This record gives sequence, structure tokens and C-alpha cells, in this order.
Amino acid sequence: MNLSESLRLAMESIKANKLRAILTMLGIIIGISSVITITTIGNSLQQTISNTMSDLGGTYLISGYLEAVYPEDDEDWDSWEYPEIDEDDMISYKDLMEYKEKFSKQVKHVIAQRDLYNGTVTGEENTVNVSVVGTTSGLIESMKLDMVAGRDISDRDNEEEKATAVVSDLFVKYAFNGENPLGKQIDVSLSDGSVIKVNIVGIYKYDAKKFNNLGSNQSEKDITTYLLIPVMYAENIDNGQDMNGFSFINIIAKDGENPTEVAKDAQEYFNSTTYKDNEDFQFKCQDLASELGIINTVLNVITIAISVIAAISLVVGGVGVMNIMLVSVVERTREIGIRKALGAKNHSIQTQFLTESVVICLIGGLIGIIIGILNGFVLAKVAAVLVSSFATDIGSMLTVTVRPSVTAIVVSVVFSMLIGIIFGSYPAKRAAGMSPIDALRYE
Amino acid sequence: MEKKILIDMKQIVKRYHENEPNELEILHGIDLQVREGEFVAIVGESGSGKSTLMNMIGALDRPTEGSYFLDGEDMGKIPDTKLSEIRNQKIGFVFQNFCLIPRTSAVRNVEVPMMYAGVPRKERRKRAMELLEMVGMTERATHKPNELSGGQNQRVAIARAMVNNPSIILADEPTGALDSQTGHLVMDIFHKLHKEQHKTIVLITHSRELAKETERIITIQDGNIISDSDMGGEV
Repeated sequence: MNLSESLRLAMESIKANKLRAILTMLGIIIGISSVITITTIGNSLQQTISNTMSDLGGTYLISGYLEAVYPEDDEDWDSWEYPEIDEDDMISYKDLMEYKEKFSKQVKHVIAQRDLYNGTVTGEENTVNVSVVGTTSGLIESMKLDMVAGRDISDRDNEEEKATAVVSDLFVKYAFNGENPLGKQIDVSLSDGSVIKVNIVGIYKYDAKKFNNLGSNQSEKDITTYLLIPVMYAENIDNGQDMNGFSFINIIAKDGENPTEVAKDAQEYFNSTTYKDNEDFQFKCQDLASELGIINTVLNVITIAISVIAAISLVVGGVGVMNIMLVSVVERTREIGIRKALGAKNHSIQTQFLTESVVICLIGGLIGIIIGILNGFVLAKVAAVLVSSFATDIGSMLTVTVRPSVTAIVVSVVFSMLIGIIFGSYPAKRAAGMSPIDALRYE
Repeated sequence: MEKKILIDMKQIVKRYHENEPNELEILHGIDLQVREGEFVAIVGESGSGKSTLMNMIGALDRPTEGSYFLDGEDMGKIPDTKLSEIRNQKIGFVFQNFCLIPRTSAVRNVEVPMMYAGVPRKERRKRAMELLEMVGMTERATHKPNELSGGQNQRVAIARAMVNNPSIILADEPTGALDSQTGHLVMDIFHKLHKEQHKTIVLITHSRELAKETERIITIQDGNIISDSDMGGEV
């Protein structure tokens, strides 16, 4: 008797006892669906975090910052004070460019930013708010913003300390009534009272999500958008209120490069050059990818732990299957006798009952998987809605993705089959071991 | 030419609960020979040991002592799995209470022995339908046992018994659960099988009436054969 034959017999017998089969499956369904629900939520959470991160700069983003040199001995902590940062502790634009040139194969952009003042630009009809930001080249790309026209701030703009500017399409819409502003000079009145004159060289597309401005009910006209100028030009107009140089930079690794490696190299490079003889500060680089890795590990551990607890219910379900199979063997004693009289071998009977139990568990498992995925979808969506309604600032940045865990599905299928085999083998053995005469006489 | 001996039993003893205080000897040394093409009735009161004897003949049970050759095969020496094969290939059972598998259509019931013989599905269906036609049950092929009358069920059971073309048809009180009219119909099928297909049929019954329809009557009482019409009556 082959497998397809056994499957056919199993299906016939399950069909003959539908209600009972479904009730038996219930334990398996509940167990598997809870495991799948939990893993789907865990997986979706990971995906959501990773997608959100990637939307906000991507896993190729590496942040570099100053970190004080902490005392090595515990005793020294008492007298230790956080060192003061002076201009020597900062990374200069020149340092950055040297680094970028040296690592040009791995590094796409090195971004340093200097937030200046808020300001206003008066157009023909409206006065528009801007936030003036000095930057190196690459900020637009690293924020994953799209250029509408013109170009980004370039390295040459910085080297020549040009008064160029990149503005948003919103800015153009209200300050220029949508007319092409490229090449035009504007006066920006800064909040410190000074006025700078810059030439518009590029327009980027404003994206409320990227600027964390989704929940606000500001009218579009009043939204403050970035007005980007070369960071070297910004240093000039900052009137010496701040030190030149940067204490925080972003590095964007090239596609296909390992950001963790790039971060390590950058850290080593700066510590062996700019910070070689610095006793107070060292340079530290951290890549988003490995931070994401840590979060994912934690999420994985939690998911697995809860899944294991949920899987306990599977064992209970398995005992239910065994119980029903034992009842079924007794109930079908006569059938077993008849089959044996007609030439069924012990192993044929055993296979028949084992297949039945495996099929019950497998069907239960599949139903459980479907319910689990649906549950996961609903719960993940509900969670996303809750997050965005409670925490509008974070919620606006979330990119909710629901993704069931393929591993969990495969494991569930295998596991439910295993339960069928483990809990079905004893009843099947009992059935196979029956003497045909006794079984035939059984009323 | 002498016909081949199909059933050859010598000094068959069957004891239950051996070496226990409640040891019980049912058969006390049966000698029995049945030749190919014979229609034999084994007659006995209930408790005479005829069912036990039938179990031995049908390879459902093994004798405690004695030797039994079925179609040349030594039944005392073969393993259980081989016994299953012999039941499947050489013996067609017809039981008093039909012993059809419930919730399974007539044609599927007839197919069961072929399934265990490994006959491909298509062939099975064809052969099963042929046999159902032989017993006049074609129109009820898809009916389940609980949708059929006793006589109809027994006809399905006979079709099933015939399906692997066995050497012996072993019928245990085949008319016991039927009224006399349907009983006759069932017996007619046996006669037809015997006459037209020269089947060897062993009929186990308590009814002398029924036994008289056969060629040879073996009477069993208290675990011994007390008469055999072939041997001129008394043993």
C-alpha cells in the first residue's frame, strides 16, 4: 500500500468524522497560529525598523562623533571631568576631504552640517520661512530627497566658499509663485538680524515624512524648509559664534561596501591622523547596520522565547490528537479486523493510522499558519495605527511592513507533522498489533 | 486424474491460554483434506469448534499442534506478513455479518483486497465493477453498506471475496443474517461459482438444510470431526 493510498484512506476517514477531526485539529491550530502570529509580529517589527532606518538614511549610514577619553582606572574617575571641547578637537573640512579622497573607493559621501539660524525670504506675495543649514555635498542624497531641478551643493561650492543655495519646491512655490528660481539671487534675513545674499542653484522635493512634519497642521505656506548653503560659506557668516570644524559627521558608504568595515576604517583613520595626539578626545564611528543588528538580535530572542511558550500549547494539542486516535482505533476495531482478514499487513494498518494522525496535524498546522498570518497582519497594522496616533512624531516616520517569517512557517509545518508522527505512532501501533480474530469478533 | 489437494490438515490441535490454569482445548486433532473444486460444508452446533477450525483454514490463526498445508504452503512455518499475503491471495472470506467497511461505497469495499495486493487503481475499479456485475450489484456500486439490504451487502461481500481470484472461498454462515428467500439467492451465487467457475468453496454452517445443498458434509462436534460424507458417513 503506497503513500497516496494511505492519504486517500486518511482523507476518507477524516471526512467521515468532520466535526471530530476539526475539534482535534483545534489544539494544533491554536498552537501553530500563536507561534506564527508572534513570529509574524516579531518579523514585521524588524522589517519596520529596518525599512524606517533605511528611509531615514539607510543602512549605509555611518555616524562619526567625538568621544571623550575616559580614565582607565576606577580610582581616576573621581577626579575626572569631562574635557572641554576646543577648536583643536574638531574635525576640519580639510580633514574630511582628505579622508574622502583616501577612501574614495568605499565612501560615497562625507557629510558635515552646520545649522545656522532660521530666516525669512520675502517674495512677491509671501514671506517664506527657511532654516539655513550649511552642509557639505551629499546631504540631499543621504536624506533620500529628490532633486527637482538644478544641482546639490558641490565640493567646489565649499572650496570656493560660494554663496550658493539649494531650496525646496515648497519654497519655490510660495517665494517665487512657482516660477523658475534657478540662478536668481535672494536675500535671506537671518534671525540674528543679518542678511545674506545667495544664488539658488538647485531645488529639492520637500517630503514631510523626512522632515518629521506629518502630524502638524501648519498650512503649507508656513512650513519652514531647509535652505542649504555650502558649509564653508556658512562658517564665514557664523560670525565666529561657534568654533569652526565639526564634532559630528555622517559617512555614507558606497553600495555593496560593508558599512561596519567602513566605520572601523574611518575610526582608525581619524584616530591615527587628526586625533593622534589628542589626549582628551578620540573619534568614534558607528554604523546603523550593526546597531540594527543589535536591535534585531534582541527582537529575535524575544520572539523565540514567546514562540517557545506558545509551542507548549502544541504539545497539549498533540495529546488531544493521540486521545482521539486511540478512541478511533477502538471504534474501528472491526474495520481493522476486516482489513487484516482481507490481507492488510500490520505495517499497512500502522501506516493508515499514522497517516491519518499526520494528516490531521498537518491540516491543523496549515489552518494555524493561515490564521497566524492573518492575525499578524491585523495586529501589526493595529500596532502601527496605535503608534502613529499616540506618538505622532515617531509614527510619521514609520514605514510599516508586515512580513510573516518563512522560517517559522516551514518549522511549523515540520513540527505539526512531527506531532502527528509522535502522538499518532502509539495508537497506530495498537491498531496494527490487534489480532484479526479478536478484531473481527469485536461488536 | 486426481484433483489437487488444497487443504491438507493433519492432527490439528488448538488450545487457548496454554500452560495457564484456564487452559482450553477447542480442537482435539482434526484431519481434513479438501480437493480443488470441491463444495464442502462444515456443520456443527455452536461451540463445536467450527469457527476455530474456520480461523485455521482461513489463516487467521495458527494451530497449536499439527500440520496444515494450504495449496502446498506449510502454514506452520511462515511469518505473519506471509499469512497476510495468503489471506489476501488464496482465501476469499464471506462472513455472516458481511464485514463490509462502513462509510465506504460498495465498489470501494470490493477494491480493498486488491489495494493490499498492490493492484493499480484503474485496474482495481474495472475488476471491482466486473465482479459487482457478476453478483448483480452494478447499479448500487456507489451505495454505502448502511444504504443496502442484508442480501445486497452479502452479494457485495461475495464480490469482494472473489476479487483476487482466490483458491478457496471460505463462507462462515453466509445466510445466517438473511431471511430464507435472500439466503437462497446468496446460495445460488455460490452454486453458480462452483459450477461455472469450479471454485473451491468451504461453507461453515450450523444448518443441516443448507449443508445438504453441498457435495460433501463434514460434521464437527466438541472439537472432533464425527462424520464426513465423503468417507461414507461416520469417521
